Amino acid sequence: MKHIRNFSIIAHIDHGKSTLADRMIQKCKLISDREFKDQLLDNMDIERERGITIKSQTICLPYQARDGQTYDLNLVDTPGHVDFSYEVSRALTSCEGALLLIDAAQGVEAQTLANLYLAMENDLEIIPVINKIDLPSAEPEKVALQIEEDLGLDGSLIQYCSAKTGKGVEDILEAIVKHLPPPEGDPDKELQALIFDAHYDAFRGTIISVRIINGTIKAGDVIRFMSNGTEYRVEEVGLFKFRREAEKKLSAGQIGYILAGVKTVRDTRPGDTITLRDRPCAKALPGFKEVQQVVFSSLYPISTDDYEDLAAALEKLQLNDAALSFQKDSSAALGFGFRCGFLGLLHLEVVQERLEREFDVSLILTVPSVKYNFYLSDGTKIEVDNPAHFPDPAKIQRVEEPFIRATILIPERYMGAVMTLCMERRGENTSYHYPMPGRIEFTCELPLAEVIYDFYDRLKSITQGYGSFDYEMLDYRLSDLVKLDILVNGEIVDALSQLVHRNNSRARGLHACEMLKEEIPRQMFKIAIQAAIGGNIIARTNVSALRKDVTAKCYGGDISRKRKLLEKQKEGKKRMKTVGNVDIPQTAFLAVLRSEQK
Amino acid sequence: MAGLYLHIPFCSSKCPYCSFVSFPGMEQVMPRYARAVESELATLVRQEQETPIETVFAGGGTPTILPTELLIPLFDAIRKKFSLAAEAEISIEANPGTVTRESLARLRQAGINRISLGIQSFNDSELGKLGRRYRTGVARQAVMAAKAAGFDNLSIDLIYGVPGQSPATWRQTLEESLSYVPQHLSCYQLTIEDGTPFAEMMERGDLDLPGEEDIEMMDEMTVEVCRSAGLRHYEISNFARPGRECRHNINYWRNGDYYAVGSGAVSCISGRRQRRTEDPVAYCRMVENGRSPVIEEENLDRETSFRESVVIGMRMLTGISRADLVARYGMDVQDCYGGLLDRLQDGGLVELSPTHLRLTDYGRRVANTVLAELV
Repeated sequence: MKHIRNFSIIAHIDHGKSTLADRMIQKCKLISDREFKDQLLDNMDIERERGITIKSQTICLPYQARDGQTYDLNLVDTPGHVDFSYEVSRALTSCEGALLLIDAAQGVEAQTLANLYLAMENDLEIIPVINKIDLPSAEPEKVALQIEEDLGLDGSLIQYCSAKTGKGVEDILEAIVKHLPPPEGDPDKELQALIFDAHYDAFRGTIISVRIINGTIKAGDVIRFMSNGTEYRVEEVGLFKFRREAEKKLSAGQIGYILAGVKTVRDTRPGDTITLRDRPCAKALPGFKEVQQVVFSSLYPISTDDYEDLAAALEKLQLNDAALSFQKDSSAALGFGFRCGFLGLLHLEVVQERLEREFDVSLILTVPSVKYNFYLSDGTKIEVDNPAHFPDPAKIQRVEEPFIRATILIPERYMGAVMTLCMERRGENTSYHYPMPGRIEFTCELPLAEVIYDFYDRLKSITQGYGSFDYEMLDYRLSDLVKLDILVNGEIVDALSQLVHRNNSRARGLHACEMLKEEIPRQMFKIAIQAAIGGNIIARTNVSALRKDVTAKCYGGDISRKRKLLEKQKEGKKRMKTVGNVDIPQTAFLAVLRSEQK
Repeated sequence: MAGLYLHIPFCSSKCPYCSFVSFPGMEQVMPRYARAVESELATLVRQEQETPIETVFAGGGTPTILPTELLIPLFDAIRKKFSLAAEAEISIEANPGTVTRESLARLRQAGINRISLGIQSFNDSELGKLGRRYRTGVARQAVMAAKAAGFDNLSIDLIYGVPGQSPATWRQTLEESLSYVPQHLSCYQLTIEDGTPFAEMMERGDLDLPGEEDIEMMDEMTVEVCRSAGLRHYEISNFARPGRECRHNINYWRNGDYYAVGSGAVSCISGRRQRRTEDPVAYCRMVENGRSPVIEEENLDRETSFRESVVIGMRMLTGISRADLVARYGMDVQDCYGGLLDRLQDGGLVELSPTHLRLTDYGRRVANTVLAELV
């Protein structure tokens, strides 16, 4: 156990976490350079494009230290986005230490802080690392001062590196060995293994990532998941080298994997404790929570023929994404689809992109919603996350909506803009303090519904990219909620309905009408677009009728091209949804989701 | 029947709306090009059960920019290669400023019996906007010259929807055109094609096109004025005295067979469609080196060809003959489209008679929308 170090890297997006991990893998000669793929750990396209790690991966690095001894350095990778803070906390619980990676040019950001606090709560030893010291705009001394004075960390531990060039990486590995404590725990006690992640493998079933806190586990053992009592026989245990490598056993302190024929990742919940059936532990490890979906949207295939494909794709996705929930939904306008729950807006976007890219299903999404509590006059309470289930307004006594506490870290000069944005979004109880000179940590209680509607984009835009944002769920508070319907030629397009606060309803209605007007192509008749609450029209616009659409010239040399143009037009029409007699393109449904201000 | 198309890719200047295969300033290439066309003609393989060639059409560019010494031998070569039908329609496109009474007389004598004059407008300001090099005086001389040269099958090409045009100025152009008693009139609404200077101007908002209401008035006016002058509307953009419809073009709209020679030209024989390279010099080089100038080939399967025949056939006001389609494809429109035709009929867009399927007047205005369902 003395030769094990378990750590993770806390970093803001783009501060170079994946690059640093890659350099460590190279330094430890885990794989040949030929096998080396850049940004090895981020192996999904979307992750690589956005520079975000969504699914964390773990790797065991054999490192020969300057003291001549070989250490197993277990790097537990963590997702770097606010939607996934629970996953981050589970990953951190499995470590004794963390590298706090900070960009020498950017300095400390809100998410880094949030994760740093998480690490501190878990009593992790922190080694600050200043990255990108080779950048011309780098200010390592200033960042070092921030770390020391503002974050109160030990300045003598600060490591300087350029993950890009590999400079300083060995010193980091050395510091990990020297300054991070080895794990504690008793291999002879009852088994307590903390699940911090799970992946699905088509051949082996779920690959469960665990930190063994106490006890020992080996193939043939019968394990029990403490959250639900299900039991499985262990087929294999091992370590995450570049590939999985089977071991005879895993003991207290180690990080590795368990294969036990678990069919879906849903059965393995991050934070859950695994123990042995025949010698169970007395108590589960603390901190386990069921995942909570907070954003809901319905997904429909553009072509109704693709419904089965979408269902299959969602099932496949869920194998690896236990946080995604879905159930059948149907819409008069869009046919059959799925109501899906997500951890947040980014999670929604990631799922959408993966479905379209990896599974080749073109989608229409409905306006994302949060979950509201409706108290009805008959004394019952119902939860509603879908405009289709909006109760009869006459029977609604009151409605509550979820609030969050947002933490926004910004350079001082954006204070006014951020304050205004929060007020526009019905923010309450704002307060701020200076965690470090020149930077403001602004906190505000906001309705979650206001945050999932383009809040993050707006924040980025008003702070020119400098604002960073984190949030935690607070409670439910009284709201004045209405259902906004969109009518096209007098027919409600159910997929465009949304639940909005009364004060926002007119602006949202106008916005939806304008967006639809831009996106719905002219057709052979005039199209009226209206926004309504109950029976009251609150906004309206028109798409004028198509008067003429005819190719003037078509002779021998043109025939092929004109035919192809018509075929394209036909394809385009196939991708539209017909409501009443109006053809509505996918872009129109998506446009309604788009932000009002560019 | 079958037709033959001859492409002449040269012009005195490039008009800002033009997306055709045409190049100005290539006078030195013309003799070489004419020789290459003759060589390509010699290589054409005639079909076994040959139907006679009933129409020849020399289009461009501006065919008449070629001196008659180069142009007339091409028609002679065509005659030598193919036995043209006795009543063959032999057309040439010509632009004002590139023809004289003498040159036209020589063409007429060489057996060319139909001329299509690219007048475009009888309004000087509109001609200027269109980038045409001549003005109305020269346009009038061209019409008179064609008539004097003995062309009794005369077509005039016009463009409407021109920047700055009003229904009133269009009426003037139409009426003056008809005052020359042409046998045929083509009225094309200006199309802004990608990659043209007009497209760029439109992007910048510098193109002052007539509004929708004006275009609608011009459409109605065109049909009305032509009708009272005895010209029947027979295709979306074409009007003719009965019996003087352009047979060469009708063959295109019936999806018939046609040979083609020249750069950029497209032929279609027995469902095999071939496009030749557009660059005249590349064309010459390929032909000179004994290579085929064809750079793109498309083989249409039965279903695609059927649908294509429907969508181009519907451009004609008589529509498509159901019996012809059954004879050619063994398929009737009702088998192919089923309930779609009922929907389109209910929408007032098409008419299905026992013999024909055609667009209604309304359906023709939004033809692309309707044809996109049938393609």
